[in-house]
Amino acid sequence: MSARPEPTGFLYPFIESEERDSSGLLAALAISAEEKIDESRALRAASLERCADVLAHAGAAMARRFRRGGRLFAFGNGGSATDAEGTADLFRHPPHGHALPALSLVEDRAVLTALANDVGYELVFSRQIIAHARPGDIALGFSTSGDSVNLLRAFEEAARRGLLTVGLCGYERAAMARSDAVQHCLVVPSESVHRIQEAQDALMLELWSIIQRHLEEGELT
Amino acid sequence: MTVVGRHRTATADRDLSEELARSALTLARRFAGGATMWCVAPEWPSHGRHVAVEFVHPVIVGKRALPAMSVDGAEAAESLRLLARPGDIVLVVSTADDRDALDLLARAEAWGLSRVWIGTGARPTPNRADHVIWTSNVDPARAARSGDLVLLYHLLWELTHVVFEHPGLLEEDAGCTDEVCITCSDEGRVAEVRTVLSDGSALVVVGGRSETVDASLVDPVVPGDLLLVHAGVALTALEMTRP
Repeated sequence: MSARPEPTGFLYPFIESEERDSSGLLAALAISAEEKIDESRALRAASLERCADVLAHAGAAMARRFRRGGRLFAFGNGGSATDAEGTADLFRHPPHGHALPALSLVEDRAVLTALANDVGYELVFSRQIIAHARPGDIALGFSTSGDSVNLLRAFEEAARRGLLTVGLCGYERAAMARSDAVQHCLVVPSESVHRIQEAQDALMLELWSIIQRHLEEGELT
Repeated sequence: MTVVGRHRTATADRDLSEELARSALTLARRFAGGATMWCVAPEWPSHGRHVAVEFVHPVIVGKRALPAMSVDGAEAAESLRLLARPGDIVLVVSTADDRDALDLLARAEAWGLSRVWIGTGARPTPNRADHVIWTSNVDPARAARSGDLVLLYHLLWELTHVVFEHPGLLEEDAGCTDEVCITCSDEGRVAEVRTVLSDGSALVVVGGRSETVDASLVDPVVPGDLLLVHAGVALTALEMTRP
């Protein structure tokens, strides 16, 4: 495989192809990484602060549902699908506290590919909500853009069926942030998909912690 | 946070950033040479899949799709023995005491793979991987879901693509090709037994190549055993990291 120049390569192709000493690049990369680490930490801290009220309300509502036997269905596309999986795993196999019933709707390849093939990718999550969900359950969707059609359809279906709906997305103007079907929406404003995803992880972990605290308090009273 | 604490954090961030930079250079060079990156996260399979999707389907339009595949579970080593070719990359996401991860990393050395280990919690002992990208001083279970871990491979992806903008740097440094190479001749190397021969020798894979070594000092060996070999002789059997 030969190295194909990136789109900016035409600007100074001779210099780049003659470049042999990697020390300058390594130093620049390290500085860039350090800046991004700071940026990620700052965005995570700011997002936790900014979403504190939504987290508190969503956490309390989710804890109530779990206490009454509700289950959590998590979903998302791509990297967000892995966040859905990771979240379901965190709820079911927590490092401490209560294990809670949670499933990810991306886990079953047979169901996912059957739905995508037969009814269309926009319906891969909503059809599973129809099949599995009961009114006391919770729908939890991850999206960085907040515009994924299959998430919006799933939230609409979930809201219709009386599920509690919680969404995480990256932009204030995103369809998810404006949708009535998403009762609790955690928004992380950033231009970087990666930084949004990192902040969504932090928000989700905080939401899980709040739910655990509620369940512990519930045991005491 | 105290001044001392902040200083320690800053130093840790600098070390981490420098290792990310070196890792990105290695990855870009291997990819340019045709490597596939195998992603394994024994304890957190969703992280393995997340790394792979970052490289295969870039979030930034115009960045090239790179061959990365996630391999699940405890049988990852058995799968990669068949799938991986010398010169490929194995990227492991785990804690330092993950036995499946340790086992795979040791075998990957014998198979001639570049080993990148991303993790959290207590740092691993030295020389377990070519690159160790670690976020310490945090509870691993927390870091796995707080964004700390995902940040590491996001940055690795971002930096790898920056390296691709420097085609002159994509050629490998001169490797160890002659007989006086210290790394290869003075130190024992990890070998994986493929076939045990009747005369006390064994056919092994070392650095991605097949070799016959004298295994009489470590007898008995069975296929799959890891040995430390030097100058055609197996000196010792590595303590197996898995039962």
